[in-house]
Amino acid sequence: MALSASTEPLVNQFAGFGGLTFAQRRKMFLIAMALPALVYVLGFGVYPLLKGIWYSLYDYNLLKPARTEFIGFGNYVELMFDSDMQRSLINTIVFTASAVFFELVLGFAIALALWRDDRFNRICLTLILIPVTITPLVVGLIFKGLLLADYGLIGYYLAQWGLSDPRGLFASQNTALATLVFIDIWEWTPLVALILLAGLKALPTDILEAAAVDGAKPLRIFRKITLPLMLPSVLLALTIRTIDAFRVFDSVFVTTGGGPGNATNTLMVYAVKEGLSFFNIGKASAIANVSLLCTAIIAAALIFLIRHYDKKASTQ
Amino acid sequence: MSRQIALDAARRGFLFFMLAFFLLPFIWLATTAYKPSIDIFSIPPRFGFTPTLDQFRKALSVFDVPSLVRSSIFIAGGSMVLSLLLGVPAGYALARSSHRLAMALAYFFMSIRMVPAVAALIPFYLMMRDIGLVGHWFSVVLINCVLNTAFVTYMMYSYFRALPKELEEAALTDGCHQFSAFWRVSLPAVRSGIVASALFCVLFSWNDFLFAMFLTQLDSKPISVALLSAYGTKDITWGTLGALAHFSTIPIVLIVLFLNRYFVQGLTKGVH
Repeated sequence: MALSASTEPLVNQFAGFGGLTFAQRRKMFLIAMALPALVYVLGFGVYPLLKGIWYSLYDYNLLKPARTEFIGFGNYVELMFDSDMQRSLINTIVFTASAVFFELVLGFAIALALWRDDRFNRICLTLILIPVTITPLVVGLIFKGLLLADYGLIGYYLAQWGLSDPRGLFASQNTALATLVFIDIWEWTPLVALILLAGLKALPTDILEAAAVDGAKPLRIFRKITLPLMLPSVLLALTIRTIDAFRVFDSVFVTTGGGPGNATNTLMVYAVKEGLSFFNIGKASAIANVSLLCTAIIAAALIFLIRHYDKKASTQ
Repeated sequence: MSRQIALDAARRGFLFFMLAFFLLPFIWLATTAYKPSIDIFSIPPRFGFTPTLDQFRKALSVFDVPSLVRSSIFIAGGSMVLSLLLGVPAGYALARSSHRLAMALAYFFMSIRMVPAVAALIPFYLMMRDIGLVGHWFSVVLINCVLNTAFVTYMMYSYFRALPKELEEAALTDGCHQFSAFWRVSLPAVRSGIVASALFCVLFSWNDFLFAMFLTQLDSKPISVALLSAYGTKDITWGTLGALAHFSTIPIVLIVLFLNRYFVQGLTKGVH
């Protein structure tokens, strides 16, 4: 893994260092700068990930280490017929798809409203970003508290007026996942709005103005010009949010812990429960790897799309 | 023209509604901490209350808040320093190299950030157990640092790439040592990128609780983990929880508000 220098043609007269040319010294310097980070991430990040793939091929439980046995793809085959796994996978997909969809729609609306650069909008943006900074765990606690059926500020009335299960939104199989989607929307829409706002501000204003001068209706300008030009930003927000929503953990863990039943079990929650509560390392690693594989596929597909539109935009 | 005014009013109205939507839940938690318990548990829920500091007294008597905050600061500060030390030079090297591996490596670092945490956490936990670090806050720093270093490297890579090379080439031609060209010329020019990187490291590690939950114990747990264990304990009311949550959320919200410019810049630039 050699990193060659970018300043090659420069300064060969300073080749005093052990007979090395400047280009060679430059190369060594850049390698020395990059190596610590690379070694660190490989050692503490990639090595555990590979170890996880290795563990997933074993029947390995920390509570009975003597009975560890190599079972090949046994854990994965078992997961294919595991109803909890199927439910977790479906929950994760439904959660991700609906949360990201609403976040994009609402985020776009907010970005459009904040487009014009004035004092009010700048203050508004600063304040709207607060949910993104709050500890996700605390976000879970906030909504748990607000939605408690017995004395929560909102939950009490929802239950009284028969709008929710008498035991609260989190206690019903029908509403628990939707409530978690709502929490995710609250927490992450501001981020989407910010990314889209950055995209809007980078739009070529002359085209938009020309269209307006030509008498095009605002809605038509939006559909025919703004939206297509915004596609790269939308895809970027979509990528970031899809990958993050797919590994949702904190808010689910605090509010429902995957319940009632397994109505809100997601892949991450399921893997954490199996691995770090039941110490079933083999199975938990397999679940985590399925989640890793899904993330990789989603990321690859979305990055391919982004590249595709980038190319199209640059050839136009 | 009147149409324009109506549109503007609608826009403002929508934004006010959104402000209320995004801020009220947070304000609710913050104010719960100043309510006497009787007002919290009243049925139907009451909006008005006489402010009191009882909940803070309770929180401080039940929890060793200074120790919790200290752990949080160690974890966030430690992973920020280590990630910057590793990530900033790496971002610089990748941006300055013209080798085709450099860009591949930059993407490698970016993709590390997307990995679902459990996939690494379970083997990492066993690794730390083998070297006897489970229970120490430093193990949380080590794992947080993987994600943070990867993030900082990629973010600084994009900042350094936006920087014109000529600046530093001039210094190099003048016989300036390579490291001092980096240290004295390039680094000051990307100051805002470094502040943004530091801010995100602190934000990620301060807010994490999954890693800390499994890697720390009673005397080394940060405030986020304490919040989780406090919830559902019999004699901990929502008010006490709200008071405790102050120590977890207020510092980070204030830091972000104070450094808002860098936060926005980092979010829009660093994630690309």
